[in-house]
Amino acid sequence: MAWFAEMRRRNVFKVALLYAISSWLIVWFVGAIQSDVVLPNWTETFTYFVLIAGFPIALWFAWTYEFTPSGLRKADEVDQTQSIVYKTGQKLNSAMAVLVVLGVLAVFGQRLLPKFEFLVPGIPEGAAPVSDKAPAEIRSLTLSNGLEIVVWPDHDIPNVAMYTYVRAGGRNEYPGITGLAHFFEHLMFLGTENLEPGEFDRISEAAGGRINGSTSPDVTIYRDWFPKSALETIFQLEADRFQNLELYADAVQSEREVVYSERRSSVDNNNFQKLHEQVQATAFVAHPYQFPVIGWPSDIESWTEEDLHRFYRTYYAPNNRTVVIVGDVTTEEVFGLAEKHFAPIPAQPQPEQVRTVEPEQVGARRVVVKAPAQAPLLHVAFHSGTASDPQTLRMSLLLDILTAGESSRLHRRLVEDEGLALSVGAWVDEGFDPGLTYFYLTLPPGGDLEGAERRLLEELALVASEGVSEQELTKARNILLAEYWRDLATISGKTGALGDFEVFHGDYEWLFNRPADAEAITTESLRQVAAEVFVENNMTVGALVAPDDEGVE
Amino acid sequence: MSALRTMLVLVFAGLGGTALAQGVTLPEYHFVELDNGAVFILTEKRDVPLIGVTAKIRGGAVTDSNDKSGLSRLFAEMLEKGAGERDAGSFAEAVDSVGARLSAHSGLESITISGEFLARDADLLVELLADMLRTPILSKAEFAKLRDRNADLLRAAKDGDLRSLTSVYGNAWLFGEHPYGNPIGGDESSLEGLRHDDLLDHYQDFVGADRLVVSLVGDFDATEMINQLTAAFSDWRRAAQPLPEFDAPAPEQGRRVLLVDKPGATQTYFWVGNVGVAYGYGQRAELDIANTLFGGRFTSLLVDEMRTKAGLTYGVRSVLVRPSLPGSFAIVSYTKTESTVVALDLALELLTRLRVEGFDDELITSGKNYILGQFPPRLETASQLASQFAALQAAGLDESYINDYGAAIAGAASEDIHAVISSAYPSPDDLVFVIIGDAELIRDDIAKYGPVTEMAITEPRFRPQP
Repeated sequence: MAWFAEMRRRNVFKVALLYAISSWLIVWFVGAIQSDVVLPNWTETFTYFVLIAGFPIALWFAWTYEFTPSGLRKADEVDQTQSIVYKTGQKLNSAMAVLVVLGVLAVFGQRLLPKFEFLVPGIPEGAAPVSDKAPAEIRSLTLSNGLEIVVWPDHDIPNVAMYTYVRAGGRNEYPGITGLAHFFEHLMFLGTENLEPGEFDRISEAAGGRINGSTSPDVTIYRDWFPKSALETIFQLEADRFQNLELYADAVQSEREVVYSERRSSVDNNNFQKLHEQVQATAFVAHPYQFPVIGWPSDIESWTEEDLHRFYRTYYAPNNRTVVIVGDVTTEEVFGLAEKHFAPIPAQPQPEQVRTVEPEQVGARRVVVKAPAQAPLLHVAFHSGTASDPQTLRMSLLLDILTAGESSRLHRRLVEDEGLALSVGAWVDEGFDPGLTYFYLTLPPGGDLEGAERRLLEELALVASEGVSEQELTKARNILLAEYWRDLATISGKTGALGDFEVFHGDYEWLFNRPADAEAITTESLRQVAAEVFVENNMTVGALVAPDDEGVE
Repeated sequence: MSALRTMLVLVFAGLGGTALAQGVTLPEYHFVELDNGAVFILTEKRDVPLIGVTAKIRGGAVTDSNDKSGLSRLFAEMLEKGAGERDAGSFAEAVDSVGARLSAHSGLESITISGEFLARDADLLVELLADMLRTPILSKAEFAKLRDRNADLLRAAKDGDLRSLTSVYGNAWLFGEHPYGNPIGGDESSLEGLRHDDLLDHYQDFVGADRLVVSLVGDFDATEMINQLTAAFSDWRRAAQPLPEFDAPAPEQGRRVLLVDKPGATQTYFWVGNVGVAYGYGQRAELDIANTLFGGRFTSLLVDEMRTKAGLTYGVRSVLVRPSLPGSFAIVSYTKTESTVVALDLALELLTRLRVEGFDDELITSGKNYILGQFPPRLETASQLASQFAALQAAGLDESYINDYGAAIAGAASEDIHAVISSAYPSPDDLVFVIIGDAELIRDDIAKYGPVTEMAITEPRFRPQP
């Protein structure tokens, strides 16, 4: 009993009670804040752990030490006659009274504690579009860590599309790590510190979601399509893999094999890609656009773990990403979830800019690929502009005139009238750096490569000298307008269109200016772009022929 | 195990309990049937200024005789080569110049014209559609050009990624002389044999109002559109010949292997299957759940084991083709030449595992959620809806096929799914194999799968010459 009385004298029980009351208040406080937005997920568990661990320490402290007028002393060393434990006890009583009052106030009137509110920011509203052409319900927001988010609520179907653009692609690679950006598109499904390989997909699909990814020379895009009921699940999954990716050695090795398999079917056993890879590598001598996005085989074999870690840290940081969400959501719920799950991910230093500028080409280049083939292929590429260069929209309209549909110039002349080709197509690269305008023709077996090339170049020269007709321009504008509405007919089309403009043009609102931009283009400006780009010195020609074919030089 | 992981697992345990009961209901529609048998189905939809159109002529590739495979497809493509007052060039110009799309293809059991127009061009849409069907030019010169180009395109396709051709070889090898075995686009040799008269006969015999269904969805006035369509088609003739009737293909007993030699290929493509089910199969929901879990999504058994765990392939699927009579079931994949046998063995082992073990309740719920969650985007646009309405009508199904589907998926019982697995999937002892690759390197190793027949990829057909 003497021991019990001594415990009482040393205020051990009061400390225990005070500790309990304080703990209860802290837990309540953390819970209150976390249910809103500011703390990471593990905070609550962590708090419990600290508080429970601290309890015996507090008791031991109360028993061992004692406050005296000269400071903290070991209780055993204090002269009992000088002891002020009684006063300390009174202070503890007062503290407990204050905390109890605080607690009651807190629980029965959270709103009565305005002093906490600065810690609990409301959900940001985001910025509305400036242009009156853009739908007024769109909102955009940049989180404190630099992550950009664009939301377009659309309640047509009970689904959501969420695209994450990572500003990392083939252009961020160098010899030795080619294909790495594309490999990440695979790695990002292969497990995190919290989820084992395969669990990401399992959780997403079990919630009704579907995913994929794609890599270009400029960006890697991660796409989620899911029912609205899965919204927070997808936020959790995406937040997790963008901060906790784990490189499990076995999974990484097996995935190298998968990428090899992808390379085999999409390049090695595919004549079109086989030739495209060589033309790309020939057209660019300095800029990393020369690397195949899937990577050179030797590099696929030899990326190191350090390469992977560095790439992830640098390019997968929130300040290097843009997230676009369209579908059956409200901006409030999306921004709330973004603050909760995405905002805690720390920013990283901005990745280094790609410094290399492709020097001007000063003479035509040629590359020949020999491969088993019944049908020869002809590719012709010219250096052109960036996505946001005004020239690129003009080129895109011009290519519609030249190759879109069976009424297009090149199809009519080379395919229908002259039978030089089985098909002809073209695209213009729309990237961060100046890319290519690219023509591709499939010739009939035994076809005339020289003749096809000559006729193609004649037609391009004709555009550069004579231009196009007003009717042809109207047709190209109509094709663009129909494409525009087709994109806006689905939530995934809207997501991709918003994302492309936000990332490559710097502002999603430009999307809604597209029809007007096309309207403002003249036939003369199309002639000019043809005259600037379709120049022999600016050209790379690739031909794919069977090994025994002697018909090409 | 960290806190986040615990939390995620908890969240998903909660989600895993019940299927999200969320179906899709087709919109209300106008249904018109003319005296000559032509059917129109229309729905207004005005979210964007577009009109989607699908027209179907029942018939398709099954009307082609064995030696004339590709005729129906060629006929369909000829519909784009000039009609009414427009020759091929001006027809294409009329479509392209307004930014529209309008194309015709033939499938196994119907010819399909599908298109998308800006709303302001609705009149042109009806005009072009009526011209295509009622007054196609079917010019002899265009026919010869298209026929030869299609044959060349097949040769070019054999140089490219063979994923698209694997199932053509597969169906030809499985169904043999049955119409379901005919390559829809023909082969180089059958195309060569087609004559202009065949084309004209096909038009008279198998194309007419009694085979036609037109579905339009989008930004237009339905009443006015019905009047226009009626005026355009009410006096059209019927098809001269009845649709051919044939027996359901019998499932294959035992095994046989077709090896298609592509010298120098670094990769082997394979198709392993047997006769499956028809679209009228009574337990469609149960089968869809089973097939989704077996090889219809990324975390399916096949992808998980063959791609994610073993790294043997970039893609593997379990494919069900469901026409009016039982079609094909197949496991389709590809792998590097050296792992041909490993990959095939694993595929067979997984088929056995499917039939023996089936799926637990948690997976079944996951499969249901996946199907239901991915269903609404498939019927989101005017074009998708038009295509769905036309497909239902051509197949003789009503809208309950879509409207009741969500509930059927959500309500499917585990024992019924397992019963479907035992009856709809073949035993590994009864399988037909198509293996395309470098024969020299794999010939001996694949002999263990059954008696092997060999052909070269350059042979101008998709099945070995008898």
